[in-house]
Amino acid sequence: MHTDARTLPNGTVLQADLCIVGAGASGITIAREFNNSPVKVLLLEGGGFDFDPKMQELYRGDIVGLPYFPLQAAALHYFGGTTNHWAGWCSTYEPIDFTKREWVPHSGWPITRADLDPYYAVATTIVDLKSNKWDALDWKEGDADRVPLLRDSKLMWTKMWQFSPPTRFGVKFRDEIVKSPNVHLYTNANVVEVEANESVNTVRSVRIRTFDGKEYHARAKRFVLACHTIQNARLLLASNAQAKAGLGNDNDLVGRFFMEHFEMPCGELALTDPRATKTKLYEFVGLGSTPRGELATTPAAQREYRILHGTASVEAGNYGDPVKSTFQALDSGMVDRLRRWADSGRKGPPPFAAEFAALAPKDKGPPRFYHLTTRQEQAPNPDSRVTLSTEKDALGVPRARLDWRVTPLDKHSMRTFYQLLGREMGRTNTGRVQMKDWLMSDDMSWPSFISGGWHHMGTLRMSTDPKEGVTDSNCRVHGISNLYIGGAAVYPTAGAVNPTLTLVALSLRLADHLKRSG
Amino acid sequence: MTLDRRRFLQLTALGVIGSVAETACAPEKASALAHPRLVEMLGAERVRQLGERYRAATPAENSAEKLRDAIARGGGLHLFRASVDDQINDDFSNGRTVVVDGWILSVTEARQAALFSLSPA
Repeated sequence: MHTDARTLPNGTVLQADLCIVGAGASGITIAREFNNSPVKVLLLEGGGFDFDPKMQELYRGDIVGLPYFPLQAAALHYFGGTTNHWAGWCSTYEPIDFTKREWVPHSGWPITRADLDPYYAVATTIVDLKSNKWDALDWKEGDADRVPLLRDSKLMWTKMWQFSPPTRFGVKFRDEIVKSPNVHLYTNANVVEVEANESVNTVRSVRIRTFDGKEYHARAKRFVLACHTIQNARLLLASNAQAKAGLGNDNDLVGRFFMEHFEMPCGELALTDPRATKTKLYEFVGLGSTPRGELATTPAAQREYRILHGTASVEAGNYGDPVKSTFQALDSGMVDRLRRWADSGRKGPPPFAAEFAALAPKDKGPPRFYHLTTRQEQAPNPDSRVTLSTEKDALGVPRARLDWRVTPLDKHSMRTFYQLLGREMGRTNTGRVQMKDWLMSDDMSWPSFISGGWHHMGTLRMSTDPKEGVTDSNCRVHGISNLYIGGAAVYPTAGAVNPTLTLVALSLRLADHLKRSG
Repeated sequence: MTLDRRRFLQLTALGVIGSVAETACAPEKASALAHPRLVEMLGAERVRQLGERYRAATPAENSAEKLRDAIARGGGLHLFRASVDDQINDDFSNGRTVVVDGWILSVTEARQAALFSLSPA
């Protein structure tokens, strides 16, 4: 079922067993798990079915601390959420990502990789991946040249990526949701407040507001906030009628530990013998296409050298090419051009095609030089946080204020990664590695092109201890019996790879928990 | 620490054989020293620049003689090493690396580049 909330009379009260706020990858995944069940589900989406600049403007926020890209460009506010523009890069978090690493302050999830394994298997089908296999040797694709580098290394290994087409949740699952007999989707239903009871231990309802000033309430037995990492935190902080610091914020943790993945060019690789060294496994063929590998540090290397988890892409090019970080390459102008290109049916080459073509190797024969681009988790940092701005949006909700901060361990880990990679490339005489100048300066100096990957994680981290995390191992907000969080906000650490596949797996696990405990 | 007779003989034998191997390989090694394999990878000009930077950062090795000595000393106890390339691989395996202009090089090949930078272009 579907209703445009703007058509409801002012003061309407919606009732359900389960109310999911936000219809992105997490919200849609959870809602689908209840489709055709006796559970009455409300799925509240702030936007409509299409991109609307006015709706998107609600996501605008203040940027303080490190430079960041406009918040209204990084996440999308309509049915399908940010999957409407995600690039579809998928890989699994490794077992070490879930562990308490004594050299990484605040690390450790209250669940293990084994807890997520069955859900990863389902998540791969949801995002249309080829399989749930992740070993480099599983992806030879009948091509003898698709072999991993540094196979005997104890320090480096090849981590595989698969590419979703990319799956647009808003397109793929729209009919299923709209035709569901028990999931009722309301579009243009922006939740502006989560309302708790007087003891602030149970959510009674959420308050919905539209641009024309109408207000509604949705009541349910249980609620899942599945808006978006920054917006989930913002909504809890802004829901301060009963608890001054915001809901779930008794320990001043809501909004803290905001994390990104660093995605920055960090080095060059020169092959010793380009004809003999096979690099085909590392080629990016295209979205929805052949999986590819990236070089990554092994758990043993992370432990021995006390570093964060990182990988590097290996892409053929020319020495000294002006390789860009993700923020540089995909600025908000490029994102707009990409959206228009996609909306017009992807006619002609994508907007970045000419720029990419200029970086193609000019060598005749197998290329000797490769660009190495880092993808690395950032250390959890309580000072990296989302708070509320003094400015309010058009619906009267304080805007988000993002203060993205990093730690010395982040850069130290990046530098060590390249030192180890250089050592292993030399030991095997595969080639030599050069680090960028900025990587060799002190651990708190960052270049102007410091970049994340538009991956927003943390802010409502999981922990069994309410003093260490906002949510418990089932993504329930500590101290509030019926409020759950869907999405990457609950990640205690970021892992080295993009968050979406894990987000879908974790949402499936949350749905299972809700079914079992219902 | 005492050295028993068997151990002494082992070391002596290795020493003799090692010396013979070094002597037999000397011309080959000298040639390899003059032609770093880095040149093929990075080009002569870049290797020369790397060598200059290494010498600037390591004044104690700022002559051909000192560099050759340092490379020979770098061979250390590895008596059977047949070539400079083996020595370079051994450096990488044992973490004897230096960073020159961002390049992660074996100590031996950095010295080799420095030596190369002293030769006529």
